[in-house]
Amino acid sequence: MNLTEEVGTKARELLENNVVDCVIGYERATDGVSARPLFVYQPEETDKLIFDQTCTHNLAKYLLDRKDKVTGIVVKPCDSRAINLLLSEHQIERDKVFIIGVVCPGIVETGWNKTSEKLQAACELCQQHTPVIYDHLVGEPPISEPAPEAYPDVAGMEAQSAAERRAFWEEQFSRCIRCYACRQVCPGCYCGECFVERLDPLWVGIRIAAGENEMWNTMRAFHLAGRCIGCYQCEQVCPVNIPLSLLNRKLEKETLEAFNFQAGIDAETPAPFSTFEKDEKIGIGE
Amino acid sequence: MARIGVFVCHCGTNIAGTVDIPTVLEAARQMPMVTLAEESKYTCSDPGQAAIRDAIVENRLNRVVIAACSPRMHENTFRRTVAAAGLNPYLLEIANLREHCSWVHGDGAKAATEKAIELIRMAVAKVARHEELFPKQLPITKRTLIIGGGISGIQAALDVAGAGHEVVLLEREPTIGGRMAQLDKTFPTLDCSSCILTPKMVDVAQHPNITLRTYAEVKEVKGFVGNFEVSILQKARKVDHEKCTGCGTCWQKCPEMVGSEFDLGLGKRPAVYIPFPQAVPPKPVIDTEHCRYIKYLQFMEEGREGKPPPQCRICEKLCPTSAIDWEQEDEIIEEKFGAIIVATGYKPFDPKVYTELGSDRYPDVITGLELERMMSASGPTGGEVTRPSNGAHPKEVVFLTCIGSRDEQRGRTYCSKVCCMYIAKHAIMFKEHDPEVQCYVFYMDVRAVSKDYEEFYKRAQESGATYIRGKASAIRQEDDKLIVRGEDTLLGEMIEIPADLVVLAIGMEHSPGSADLAQALKISYDTNELFIEAHPKLRPVETMSDGVFLAGACVGPRDIPESVASGSAAAAKVAALFSQDFLTTDPMVSTIDAMKCSGCLLCQAVCPFNAIDTQVLRDGRTVSVVNESLCKGCGLCVAACRFGAANLRGFTQQQLLAEVTSLWQ
Amino acid sequence: MAVDFEPRIVGFLCNWCSYAGADMAGTSRITYPPNIRIIRVPCSGRVDPLLIVKSFQLGADGVLVAGCHPGDCHYTEGNYYARRRFALLRPFLDYLGVEKERFGVEWVSASEGKRWSQVVSSFTEEVRKLGPRKSAMPQEAVL
Repeated sequence: MNLTEEVGTKARELLENNVVDCVIGYERATDGVSARPLFVYQPEETDKLIFDQTCTHNLAKYLLDRKDKVTGIVVKPCDSRAINLLLSEHQIERDKVFIIGVVCPGIVETGWNKTSEKLQAACELCQQHTPVIYDHLVGEPPISEPAPEAYPDVAGMEAQSAAERRAFWEEQFSRCIRCYACRQVCPGCYCGECFVERLDPLWVGIRIAAGENEMWNTMRAFHLAGRCIGCYQCEQVCPVNIPLSLLNRKLEKETLEAFNFQAGIDAETPAPFSTFEKDEKIGIGE
Repeated sequence: MARIGVFVCHCGTNIAGTVDIPTVLEAARQMPMVTLAEESKYTCSDPGQAAIRDAIVENRLNRVVIAACSPRMHENTFRRTVAAAGLNPYLLEIANLREHCSWVHGDGAKAATEKAIELIRMAVAKVARHEELFPKQLPITKRTLIIGGGISGIQAALDVAGAGHEVVLLEREPTIGGRMAQLDKTFPTLDCSSCILTPKMVDVAQHPNITLRTYAEVKEVKGFVGNFEVSILQKARKVDHEKCTGCGTCWQKCPEMVGSEFDLGLGKRPAVYIPFPQAVPPKPVIDTEHCRYIKYLQFMEEGREGKPPPQCRICEKLCPTSAIDWEQEDEIIEEKFGAIIVATGYKPFDPKVYTELGSDRYPDVITGLELERMMSASGPTGGEVTRPSNGAHPKEVVFLTCIGSRDEQRGRTYCSKVCCMYIAKHAIMFKEHDPEVQCYVFYMDVRAVSKDYEEFYKRAQESGATYIRGKASAIRQEDDKLIVRGEDTLLGEMIEIPADLVVLAIGMEHSPGSADLAQALKISYDTNELFIEAHPKLRPVETMSDGVFLAGACVGPRDIPESVASGSAAAAKVAALFSQDFLTTDPMVSTIDAMKCSGCLLCQAVCPFNAIDTQVLRDGRTVSVVNESLCKGCGLCVAACRFGAANLRGFTQQQLLAEVTSLWQ
Repeated sequence: MAVDFEPRIVGFLCNWCSYAGADMAGTSRITYPPNIRIIRVPCSGRVDPLLIVKSFQLGADGVLVAGCHPGDCHYTEGNYYARRRFALLRPFLDYLGVEKERFGVEWVSASEGKRWSQVVSSFTEEVRKLGPRKSAMPQEAVL
């Protein structure tokens, strides 16, 4: 059975047995080449479900709209980490989710009417091919252990001078149109009132201008410090192609080095900002 | 709309000597929402304060900035000034023009003046966003729960009761007295321990303000300072203490004898028993594990096969007041308290981990506490120290110090403080009893730190005890002697001493169940399960949880005088707490906007004072809520909250951002 | 890099240790450069990263947070959390082009008046050497 068939079969079984009211998965979009999210409520409709290398979306975010209902969901490894994140932050309950975890073949560069064989940059660097939490596993886990997380993209940026970095990010943020697509797609961004919407205090002014854009992107990334689970959908959906993963991955790298912590690997390990070690030496005040 | 008055102080020449006051006043008058700016030679003086009060009233000011010395100096003074003018005292902000400006930039008057103006601008921006704050008054239940009936708990109970407040003294054993009741004599005075302890025990029993609950434990604690709700588990004694007169008939006739916990297994006690003759209350409990009738009842209940055990019930038959009550069950009692003192004491270290010393193999290797029981006149050997193996009087006694203490590998790393002294005491007492006895003490260091301790140690040396610097590495049996092998480090030789009796100077450890109790009370404990003080130097009897105090060895090893002192100190803290009619809370506490809170509970995780609880809203969402009586206003929750739900009154997000932003306006 | 430029430095000092230490520098009359503008907070753990980033965005050339030495926090743990937050924020801002020398975190106790003046002096000089932050255009919609 291929991944699509396995996902479809399991989803049908869940709906037929009333284990869940709904299965959230992927279907082929109307361009015939890319994928889009699908909410399946009837067993017959599970025929529409697919799983292949175009399934880029992180569906975990939808769970936040279905907190009081039992939902089945198709997740890739990065998406499964998002579920752990939401569990650890008490946003969803474990017994309300049936997780169909898929061993991920890597997602290709995809978009409307766009076909490609080339993996997304993030998928090239990905070290987590098997979901970290699931109720049913689809696909064969790889035999070899993944290599330790490496951040060549971040290291490349770090190797440049401060002035070069400054210029780079100024240019990137100048293109931001504050559409907030990055925030909308991110499972870690679920604040009822985002800091950018607050008028009192006014952290980010209303103008679309370099200073405000810088404030927005910097602080959104920092609010995800120790929380970004690495799906990088933010980068995928950005209409002006800001390399947002370069921002989040810097914080992932620092979090890993300073606290030996990666977000969403499990739902129990305390988040880095919720705890401390008295004698830790992490480069501050030493 | 804010109407801000700015009052610039000269502070004599302290500020005016460097900062150009007229320029500052002019600049202040231009700032947004500033109604007036005035100067004064000494704002803190009586005329200075009067001028401020008048200005507030005449100009209908509703916010005040005082640009003067550090707020750490006079914030409270000026709060009272402002309050006297009819304004809420929290509608005030102070700009530090002295310690942070004129006094440190005396070499650059222009820069100092510019900085002064900016500091005032920041204060104006902040105070415009101040709101009226009102301290809350909470009632206090003026009853104290003292957990632990050892000497510290007893002293604390007597002192709190003496201060006129109700006390409940809780003890999980059948009697109070703790470890001190097990001692024979106390150093350095060689007072008989029971003789000095039992009068205090009787005082506790007779004090009208003290309710003694023995054979009882804490089950659950809810609430906070002034308003604790405690569930107490009163274990079933199977004896009705209202009827019992303590005549002793039952325990004299009971046929079932088991090892006595009080005598550390060296002697026996009956199944219905009081732990020692001077027990308080002097009324027995029935040990339901060993009572024959209880075993019969269990046999019948479980419907086992075979012949049932004997019914016994001798105690019931002989009791003149019919006080035996087999129906009695464990009971939960709910009580309210305003303060809790934790005095749960210590447990002696079990030396069996030192297998080379053979404490569980050789009956003649005993602990210091076991020796105390033997030396005690009411103990299992009637005050005669004999070899457990053959009952003979020992002629050669070897003492090993630091057993379980100062040991990184197998024991505790800390020093247990009292062992050097009690070994010296044992050596002195052996010699006094029988000058023929040879005492050898293997020591690492001798610690004799308190009043008369050094002299006492000298007395031990002069009594003829031989002190050998080194540790013992092994004990073996040869014929009827124990060969203690150790190193004399001062001579640089290995030596072997044939001993009749080996006494291990065991250290002190936390009482069993300390971690659970700490969690129930929401206090902290360290890696040794010893409770942690609010500050090790300056707040030794308080915890980080308001209203919960510490006394005695549950904090760390200590001797009797220190334990008594800490019991009295904790009592003093309770008396101070109860001296008010209400608890006044500081209004500069955190708040959580339930509408913005997503229930992620990060604030709860970071709060050092456990001041954040959860509440379930009507729409079913669980959100955080601040307990304002416990909140200390640190603001950790505010910085942790990504949702902007938490805010800190007096240092709100809006106020701090306004200060920052004002620098670029 | 203008050497006569006067850096604008925002300071966040905790009330119990570092603010008191700065007061002590004052009572001891020890001089230091006047560029810093001190904002009092109850604890270094109160300092929201939003405030730091906002300070830089508005135009601060340097931001200095000072708290109690680890282990001495008046609220026992505040500075441990602050330390964790800034351990990530500082390299992150550096990555964005705000050199890490512009964002200082120091532990200053209430008795360290002299040390406070040294901290401010060396911090100011470091920032002066780096030059102005070249901030974005000043924002207008500010209340």
